[in-house]
Amino acid sequence: MTEEHGINQLKRRDFLKAGLVFGAGAAGLAAGYAAVPDAFARAVYAAKQEGITNDKVLVMVQLAGGNDGLRTVVPLQDPKLHDYRPRLAGPSVAQALPLTADYGLNQNLKGVKKLFDAGRVAIVQGVGYPNPVFSHFESIRIWETGDPTRRSINGWLGQLAAKQYDTLGHPLTGCACGATDVPGALRDLQATMTVIQDPKNFGFTGGDPVEEAVTALYKDTPGIYGALFDTAIATAKDTIATLKTAGAKYQPMAAYSDQAKLVYSSKNQLASALQLAAELIVAGTGVKLLHVTLGGFDTHYTELNRHDDLMGYLDQAVSAFFQDLDAHGMANNVLLATWSEFGRRPKENASGGTDHGAASPLLLIGSPVQGGLYGSAPKLGDLDATGNLKYSVDFRSVYQEILTSHLGADAQQVLGATFDRVPFIKVPAGVS
Amino acid sequence: MTRRAVIGAAVAGGAGVAAFRLLGLAKPAGNPVSQSLNGATDWISPLATERAQVQQLLRRATFGAGPADLEKALSDGYAKTVQRLVETPAAKPPPFPGGDQAAKGSPLKLVQLQKWWVDQMLKGPTPFAERMTLFWHGHFTSDYRKVGLQSPYVYWQNLTWRDNAVGDLRSFLYQVTTDPGMLRYLDLGTSTGRSPNENYSRELMELFTMGAGTFGEDDVRAAAKALAGWREPQPAETVRTGVFDPRRAYTGGPVTFLGKTARFDTKGVLDQVLAQKATAPFVVRRVLVNFVMPNPSDATVNRLAAGFVKSKWSIRQLMHDVFSSDEFKSASSYRSLVKQPIEFMVSALRALGAESLGQLTQQHGSGMGQTLFDPPDVGGWPLNEAWISSNTVMARVNFVTALMQAVKDLPVSTDAHVQQLDGVLSPATAQLLSAASSDQERWTLVLASPEFQLK
Repeated sequence: MTEEHGINQLKRRDFLKAGLVFGAGAAGLAAGYAAVPDAFARAVYAAKQEGITNDKVLVMVQLAGGNDGLRTVVPLQDPKLHDYRPRLAGPSVAQALPLTADYGLNQNLKGVKKLFDAGRVAIVQGVGYPNPVFSHFESIRIWETGDPTRRSINGWLGQLAAKQYDTLGHPLTGCACGATDVPGALRDLQATMTVIQDPKNFGFTGGDPVEEAVTALYKDTPGIYGALFDTAIATAKDTIATLKTAGAKYQPMAAYSDQAKLVYSSKNQLASALQLAAELIVAGTGVKLLHVTLGGFDTHYTELNRHDDLMGYLDQAVSAFFQDLDAHGMANNVLLATWSEFGRRPKENASGGTDHGAASPLLLIGSPVQGGLYGSAPKLGDLDATGNLKYSVDFRSVYQEILTSHLGADAQQVLGATFDRVPFIKVPAGVS
Repeated sequence: MTRRAVIGAAVAGGAGVAAFRLLGLAKPAGNPVSQSLNGATDWISPLATERAQVQQLLRRATFGAGPADLEKALSDGYAKTVQRLVETPAAKPPPFPGGDQAAKGSPLKLVQLQKWWVDQMLKGPTPFAERMTLFWHGHFTSDYRKVGLQSPYVYWQNLTWRDNAVGDLRSFLYQVTTDPGMLRYLDLGTSTGRSPNENYSRELMELFTMGAGTFGEDDVRAAAKALAGWREPQPAETVRTGVFDPRRAYTGGPVTFLGKTARFDTKGVLDQVLAQKATAPFVVRRVLVNFVMPNPSDATVNRLAAGFVKSKWSIRQLMHDVFSSDEFKSASSYRSLVKQPIEFMVSALRALGAESLGQLTQQHGSGMGQTLFDPPDVGGWPLNEAWISSNTVMARVNFVTALMQAVKDLPVSTDAHVQQLDGVLSPATAQLLSAASSDQERWTLVLASPEFQLK
């Protein structure tokens, strides 16, 4: 493996040379890849044989800005919460949806509570990493790369796609929905990722002549960005064809609605992003790794309403997503996991908000999980020197369980080490 | 030989520059590329010629050039053009209608405000100051979502950033810290000495001046205390800056901030930040990765940083030094930066002399990942490769399609690849251009080309 990282190392992916998408004759061969040319499909199929061949899907939901864990999974019995948060604690404790005697979900996570009651939600409490970093960008990078030493540049899912899915870089192995750029978790210079902001408007408005001209124009482009540009256009072209086929195979069976009033962040189209994720899954496009983002969690001020709104919005979008997958009979293989760069400070500030914190809970949702509470909740009476919650579960333990037990991947290759197991994925029947 | 024929000849000559040079052409045109770079090819830098230097300067220091701008700059020469761009103070833009009166019930009209700014980029007489205003909007970032539109704050911030765009960093930082939009965006306006909000304190050091890893959590807390006390102005106060209320300030005595124990006021905090070794290199690196190359060497950064400090933090002097540097004109600088979407769109409009079509930038920016006054997060706009994805490159092409439908009279395209692309073309671009049969086809290819996405 080359030690030198940089954009110059970007390879022209083989799928570019294959010429891509001009007919759908290979659908059977490619087992789920829509509209690819025969030669390419055969190559992808062969590559799939070498790596991960199951139909498991992972959807990562980024709660960007630092989600307040103490208002997501609320400690119901701890008087210190009220001492630290005279304004924020009362309403959330009073309204929480109890999970156990000691913990309850935010009152707006009603749909998640239903899924929890059905045994489809695992909550891992106290997730973090050693020596917490309080910078958004540094901590995001740590979570995205799975590397608290901040040396890696490739995302954990990007590496997974490059090393263990198809080495040819089929564009729809990984997809960022509702975004314009490749999220860090999916980034790897050797992985091809699709980015779709809005599937309805995904296409060349100039039609076929422009598409043809541009395909010829973005060919063997020189310079450090050359391969990236060429890949972008080839990926767009492939994705247009896939969406055309996918759209015909999918009708939403749930009400997804993006709330226009939620203006805390430009990344507020969670429902439509999850609808696109459902479409790609239901239509059998071969998608494995999906990433969506909801922004606005950096609640330094007037957190009470803002955070409750965000929880409600998350709840509606996630509920619709599972309702839709259930109705299509496609939920069995899909795991959805939330992540956020950090939790928030137990003590509230003068602005009615909270500053950057450390450990927080993650939600893992779907039929593959063994429902319940995992890890141990951080203790409000035992804060670290910065006044923050101490972690009890390394976030890489969560990644490891996702990689090994859900995706059937080699976690060690991605994470570079082995971590304590958090067994939130069901053990398949017959395996002990 | 006509230019068309030149391109054709270049293509017929295959991928070799040698074959092309045999034709004895003095002017680079339709130059295929052939330098090897890790198995791929790189652009051949034309920056040894003053013409190409001037063209690159206009791409980076302004929002691109139409034929008249280019003619003037070429006849002035590189050094004089740098001088003119950098020394001309920012022109005052026409007031934004209703901007100062924005309030609850009569909010700022975001779409019109975006158009107002794009018009300054398209038509303003001081394009370098506009380019710097955009740079600072991405550096000292705020967004309309959190700041809101029911006050003039977003508009005022744009005016303040423009006023300070090439001033001195010390005064600028004070303006930034006390700007009403910033007070709201990073919560300093609701922080108090008794219960400080750390948001501004942290980002001041991490994102605005020093960089991550150069300060500790204790410093974040200390500065949060020392900075507390500002609030937003009341409309009756008729000021465009925050108001300091000593009753809200920290009264707990001296704090230790970045190694010094004192009763810091806001100016004292900023002075202490500017006294840190990390500050000048951090800001200079941000400038270089936006204007020169993605990976400047430490030596380059430190040399320019020393000059920046010596000039008493003159941004104008810094930018003069940057554009006059060998690095700016070096081969490794050539096409090493990706145009931001707004730069791409404005430069396309300017290339066509379509300055009246600013509204076109509005429906297209979002698909490319950039909406003015709405950066993705407090880190501001991303850079270079982050602008390239299946979604964004397609959106750029779609903008060109829309542009072609909207422009009534296209300029003659014979020279477009020389004027806009320095005549340095990929084999694919050269081949398609030589086969194109109309102005519309040629302009589509030029503006949608990978070459035009770079600067």
